[in-house]
Order: sequence, then C-alpha cells, then structure tokens
Amino acid sequence: MLSLSDLFAGYLDGLTGHLALAVYVLAATDERAVWRRLKKLPLLFLSPLAAILLSLGLYGAPEWGINPYYINALAVLLMCTLWVRWTWRFGFWQALAATCMAAIFQVAGSTVSSMVPLPFAAAIGLHLGISIAGSLLLYKLRFGRWFRLLLERGAVPRRTALLLLALEVVMEIFLRLSNGVQPRFLGFYYLLVAAATVLIAVLAVYLAQRFDTARKMQAQQDAIAQQRLYEQDLEMIRREVRTFRHDYKNLLAGLSRQAGEGELEGLCQTLSELDAGFDLRLGKKIQASTQIGNLQIPEVRSLLLSKLAAMEEKGVECRLEAFYPVAAVEMDVWDFVRCLGILTDNAMEAALDTERPWVEIVLLAEDGRVFLRVSNTYANSIEPRKMWNEGWSTKGAGRGVGLSSYQQILEKYPNASACASWENGVFVQEMTVEGRL
Amino acid sequence: MIRIYLCDDDDAARHQIQTALEWKIFVENYDMQVACSAANARELLAASENEKRGIYFLDVELEDPEWDGFRLGRELRRRDPHCTLVYITSYGDLAWRTFQYHLEAFDYIVKERSQIGPSVSQCLSEIHTRLLHERQDPVEMFTLRTEETVRHVPLRDILFFETASISHHVLLHTPNSRMNFLGSLNELELQLGNRFIRTHRAYLVAADKIDTVDLKHNKLWAGGYECLLSRAGKAELRRKMGGNQ
Repeated sequence: MLSLSDLFAGYLDGLTGHLALAVYVLAATDERAVWRRLKKLPLLFLSPLAAILLSLGLYGAPEWGINPYYINALAVLLMCTLWVRWTWRFGFWQALAATCMAAIFQVAGSTVSSMVPLPFAAAIGLHLGISIAGSLLLYKLRFGRWFRLLLERGAVPRRTALLLLALEVVMEIFLRLSNGVQPRFLGFYYLLVAAATVLIAVLAVYLAQRFDTARKMQAQQDAIAQQRLYEQDLEMIRREVRTFRHDYKNLLAGLSRQAGEGELEGLCQTLSELDAGFDLRLGKKIQASTQIGNLQIPEVRSLLLSKLAAMEEKGVECRLEAFYPVAAVEMDVWDFVRCLGILTDNAMEAALDTERPWVEIVLLAEDGRVFLRVSNTYANSIEPRKMWNEGWSTKGAGRGVGLSSYQQILEKYPNASACASWENGVFVQEMTVEGRL
Repeated sequence: MIRIYLCDDDDAARHQIQTALEWKIFVENYDMQVACSAANARELLAASENEKRGIYFLDVELEDPEWDGFRLGRELRRRDPHCTLVYITSYGDLAWRTFQYHLEAFDYIVKERSQIGPSVSQCLSEIHTRLLHERQDPVEMFTLRTEETVRHVPLRDILFFETASISHHVLLHTPNSRMNFLGSLNELELQLGNRFIRTHRAYLVAADKIDTVDLKHNKLWAGGYECLLSRAGKAELRRKMGGNQ
C-alpha cells in the first residue's frame, strides 16, 4: 500500500519535473524578464499535486488497456500548457508548442539523470542541475531566439505545436522503454536519447530559419512593390516640374514686362502667385518624398508606404515627418514594425469615424534613440481610458487585440516607454526607444 | 526686461526681422529688448550664456554642420528650460510637429520678403500675451526625465501613479493621458511629499483627486479610475486626510 512518505516523494519528484520544465520554457522563449515570470511559479506547484491525485484515482480504477502513466503524462502536459498560457499570455497553440518543446528537453534531462543510480535527494538535485545547465546552454546557443519565431502569428503555431506534441510523445515512450533495455545496451540507449533531443532542437531551429527566410522574401517583395509606388510618385514630380518649367518661362516673361513698365504692385502679386503655385503643385509631394527618403530601415519604410497608400485610398489626410534619417532602432526590427503597424492601424480606424479624418506620424531619430508619435482625430464614441482593458474595441469583440499585443511587445524592452494622451478630439500615441542603456 | 535673441545666417532676413521686432517693441512699449542678433549659432550661444526665460528667433536652415536649428533649439532648451523658441524657415514644408513636440517651439515664421514683418510682430504680440498669462498664473510642473528627453506635466493634473507591467517602470495617469516612464514609486513618494498618498504598494494617489473610498472592498476611485487600497494605505489615508473627514 502507498504510504504518506511515498506520496510526498512522488510529489517532490513531480515538482522537480515541473521546475525543470519551467526553466526550459524560459530558455525556449528566450525570456529576459525571468523574475517577472517566476512570480507566477507558485501556481505550478498545484500541478504535481493534481497529478498525484489523478494517479491515485487511476490506481483504484480498473485497467482500460491504456497505461495510466500516459494518461497522467498527458494531464500534466495540459496543466503545464495552461500555466504557460497564463504566465506568458500566449495563445493556446503557442503555449502548447512551448510546453512540448520544454517537455522534450525535460524528459531527455530526466532520462540522462537516471543514468547513475543515486539516492533520491541527489537524483533530484542532479535533475535540477542538468536542467539549469541545459537551459543556460540553450540561452548561450540562442535557441530561444529562433524558437520564438515559430510562435509568431505568421508561423502557424498550431502546426508547430502538433508536430512537437508528436515528438514529445515519442520521447515519453523512449523514457518508458528504458525499463526494457538490457543493461549492456544502456549506453547506446542514452546516446540515442541525446541524439534524438539534439535532432529535435535542430529541427526546430531549421523550421524557424525557413520561416524567417520566407518572411524576408515576402518583405522584399512588399518593398519592391512599395518602391514602385514611390517611383511613380517621383515620376509624377518630374512631369510636374516639366510643365512648371513651361509656365515658369511665361511667368518670367510677364514679370520682366511688369518690371520694365515699373508696375511694382503687379510684380509682387505675380511673385507671390508663383510661390503659392509651386507649393501647391510640387512642395507637398517633394516634402513627402524627402520624409520617406529619411526612413532608412527598409521594413519600416515599406510598412509606412503601404499605410500611407491605404490612408490616401480611404480619404484620410496623412502627414509624415522624419526630420533626421532613421537608420536603426534598438529593438528587433519586426517588433518595431509591429508596433508601428498597430499604432497606425488604430489611428486610421479611429480617424475614419470623424468628419475630417487625419493622421500624423512623426519619427525622430537622434543619437541612437528613436521617437515615434502617431496622432489622429477620434470621435466621441471612443472612451480612451477604457482602451487598455484587454480585448477592448469599438468594433466588437476580437478586434482589440492590437493595443494589448502592443503592450506585450513593449514589455520585452525595458528601454522602450509609451505614452498616450487625448484632448480636443485628438488622440496621441508616443513611443520612445532609447539607445543602448 | 525680457531679452530677445535672433540667429539667422541670411543677413537681409535677419535685419528685416530685427527691425520688425524693434519697431513692435517700441510701438507697444513692451518690456523687451533685442539683446543679440547673431549670424551663426556659436555667436548666439556665447551671447546667451546665462540667459533665463529669453525669447529666441532661430533659423532652421543654418549652414553649420554641427548646429542646425533643431540642435541649437535643444541646446537652448537645456540651458534655459523656460525659454520661448520661434523658428524661421524659407520652406513651408518644415517638419513643424517635430519642432513643436520636441522643443515645445512656440511658432514658426516662413521667410517671405513681403510677409515677414507682419508675421514677426504678430508672433511677438502672441508671445507677450502668453508670458503675461504665465506670470499671473504660474503652474507647478512635474518633470519627467528619461535620459535626454524632458517632459512637463502640470502637477495639478496628475491623478495617480501606478507600477507598470514593465519592471522598473511607472505609469502616470492624468484625466487625458497616461505615460509610462522609468522610475520608482518610493522615490516619487519622497519627491512629491504630502499631496500624494501611498494607498497601496502599487499606487500613489493625489490626495485632492480622490473621489470616493470603499473601505469595505479595499478600493478607491480617482478621476474615474479604480485604485487599490491596502491596510497600510488606509492608515496613511486616515493620517493625511484626517483633518477633513
């Protein structure tokens, strides 16, 4: 019969596994704010407890033909997934993928730590030691940075999660198989486990790299399309200049006639007409193209070009200012582009509800710092102070993902800060990314 | 006496602006004086070394690789935080918002020969009105400093501070803004003194902005926002608000 101390040992064993798993999840998601995540760790302590209760229940239940071990493992996996989902605020599939990846490492770790027969406490210590060393190695190898790519929205996290789940089941079976391996083949067995783990990790990195390449290709194609639009704009400026040159000649002829006849007033008027005409026909376009020329990060430029085009199409007046060249930002470029995209999309949507919609985008780069300001008109139906509640939107449920994922991105960067303000029907979002701190 | 400084490397435009300023000061009898009319940034910086609350008219397109109008304005703002900055430009397409937000620039004037005189005197009279207002009704400001950027928020607008979800960051709330900045509530509590109450580990609330207190559910409301109230916070609240409850 089971004694209380057996149960306690079982709990400790389960807890060790869970801790190792949590450590591996930290490594696999390339987490920087480790303490913040670990604050939510205590809830994970419940999971092994639940697992023990479940196994007690299964112990008493009749045989179903399935090994209770697998049911238990599956339940534990599910509980960990829910914990990861809660702690990291991931979607379900992303959480499952991260948990499965961590579980694969954890299973491999526990297999290896059972290689030498040790007393219970030492075995637990060894297991934890191996998992911490393993995670540090993963950090060092920047595995998390690649794995994190697989969790992004464009990367179909569901497919990744199911694949990793299958591999995790294989690893669990491996672990069970160790009971049937003859002692003299155990060496090969451990080698096999290690090789399989490395292969799975390499596979994950390979998938991430493939996704990254596909995304870069897509971005390049977008950039080419946007450049074409930009060139069309320049071509229009060139044509305007040509006609302007023609008018210019006539105007000059008129001016010299007026000057010859001493008509000072008429002269002044023609001159100011000339100036106004130039501003109206060319000034604005030239202004826009110099500002765009200052955006020297290709991803940022193509995103803004496409947003500007979209706004023009929808009749939103848009103004872009980039006074100095923006060449680099101390943030992952894709994260910066996502923030920019969320802010401009929100601005455009809010502006569309107003009578005279406009959006203004200001980017200022100086000494490594990048400042972004997006302002827009908004209608009274929006109440700004409620916007930060998760899932908020004027357009019904599910649309308010923007702002909360904006905040989630910013949480990764201690060098970034955000401000928002609203007054007289104008809403302003600002974001500052400091240079290296 | 408020001193006015002028910097433009286009001699003709500079003289025109100077004449317009002096004429306006003479006609309206303002307590002002054009103290310096400089052709380049260094001259201006040397002349305005110890200036406080000066008015500066600056050309945006200075032909100096080190000092363009923006950098000059930033330096002046740093040395003389309460100065008034006005920009002069030959192009209507100035990145005005950038100047306005980053330097709190007051206005900009487009160099058009016939228009420059009237625009300058119009601008000066607006500055005069604003300075009068400020003198009558000085507003106490809370200064947010992050690395290089400085931002002023009127202290009377602040509802409360709360710890942000980003570690070491604080979230400031006013009726119409929320800002995230690097800081700690402990430091703010010391800095701001008695007008703010630490109602909870994560909240520092302006005493005069508290609308209602719900002692039963450990909550309070300030400017329509819900804030948390801890047991220590309740004691603090009683101590500081004791007089008027």
